[in-house]
Amino acid sequence: MKTPILAFTLSMIMCLGARAELKWEQTAIELHPGPNDKQAVGHFKYENTGKTPVHFKSVHASCGCTTAQTQKDIVPPGDKGEITATFNIGDRTGTQVKTVTVETDEAPNQKTVLTLKAEIPQQLEITPNFVFWKQGDKPDTKTINVKVGKDFTVKHIKVTSSTADFQTKVEEAGSGQFKIDVKPQDTNKITASMLTIQPEDSQKVFYATARITNAPAAPVAPVGPTAPARPSAPTGQTH
Amino acid sequence: MAALALLPAASEAIYFRDKISWRSAIPPSEMVTVEQTRGWGDTAIWVDARPDEEFASDHVPGAISLNEDRWNELLPQFLTVWAPGKKIIVYCSSLSCNASREVARRLRKEAQLSDVFVLEGGWEAWLKKNR
Repeated sequence: MKTPILAFTLSMIMCLGARAELKWEQTAIELHPGPNDKQAVGHFKYENTGKTPVHFKSVHASCGCTTAQTQKDIVPPGDKGEITATFNIGDRTGTQVKTVTVETDEAPNQKTVLTLKAEIPQQLEITPNFVFWKQGDKPDTKTINVKVGKDFTVKHIKVTSSTADFQTKVEEAGSGQFKIDVKPQDTNKITASMLTIQPEDSQKVFYATARITNAPAAPVAPVGPTAPARPSAPTGQTH
Repeated sequence: MAALALLPAASEAIYFRDKISWRSAIPPSEMVTVEQTRGWGDTAIWVDARPDEEFASDHVPGAISLNEDRWNELLPQFLTVWAPGKKIIVYCSSLSCNASREVARRLRKEAQLSDVFVLEGGWEAWLKKNR
């Protein structure tokens, strides 16, 4: 009776000792990309601390804006490596959390979720970035508020309208805030204008849109001569 | 004693503030099903929050592409099509995770538009009901 129990116990111990085990240095990384960075890259390092090779069955990013690459498909015992997760920032702002799910053959349905958290700095927060008047409305001034991000210093901003249909005036509101007053010349004509907002001493530009709309309106031509709508040579007023 | 008992809960709430469900979840009133959108016809604008390649491959007829990869470029184009009183239905796919929620959030917060809805089930749900 004692022999089978001993054999069973020994085999269990041997199985445990022989199992593959991928040890992750960290499964969550927080990144702080710069204001002009296009990508945020996280390196998730691992080591096979087991006695058998580990196979990566799948590596799947949570969305199209993130890619994940393995250096190898099989990790021999004692070997180290990393999974590189690249998050394409695009025009995203604020806190972004992306995940990469890694499936290995360590155990049935063995999955590890790697988390990439990126804090995207925002130089200017523009609210609202769209002002509109209905056709025939009183051409009252509407205000766009601009708030400078906490890690930035902006003393002046320059605002340029892509058409002469809207007048803009910048006012410093103190504590890193500005007010942009937008006034249409005439609300009888359906028109749209791109407002380019540029902080002093910065290459980066921000946009807002001003529009006279007919409600409910048929679509009007996009702002600017061709899509995309970023105006290359604004012709309106500058403040 | 009661204050002491609340301390761990308060600390946890502060530490996990980004993960608090009521901040990340979308209220049911801002979600819409494919069936609910059927009667909206021309009073609604469909917004495709998926990446450019997915939009180019196929999309809801008449939908406008507005994704966060090129938000600054695409938003003005969307705003020239929008009209007061129009409902906005934002959709993404299972591959683009929370893209529709983020686009809807930014339309509400940054452009201060109202009547912005997220399509429940996204592109896959629309496909299932329409093709």
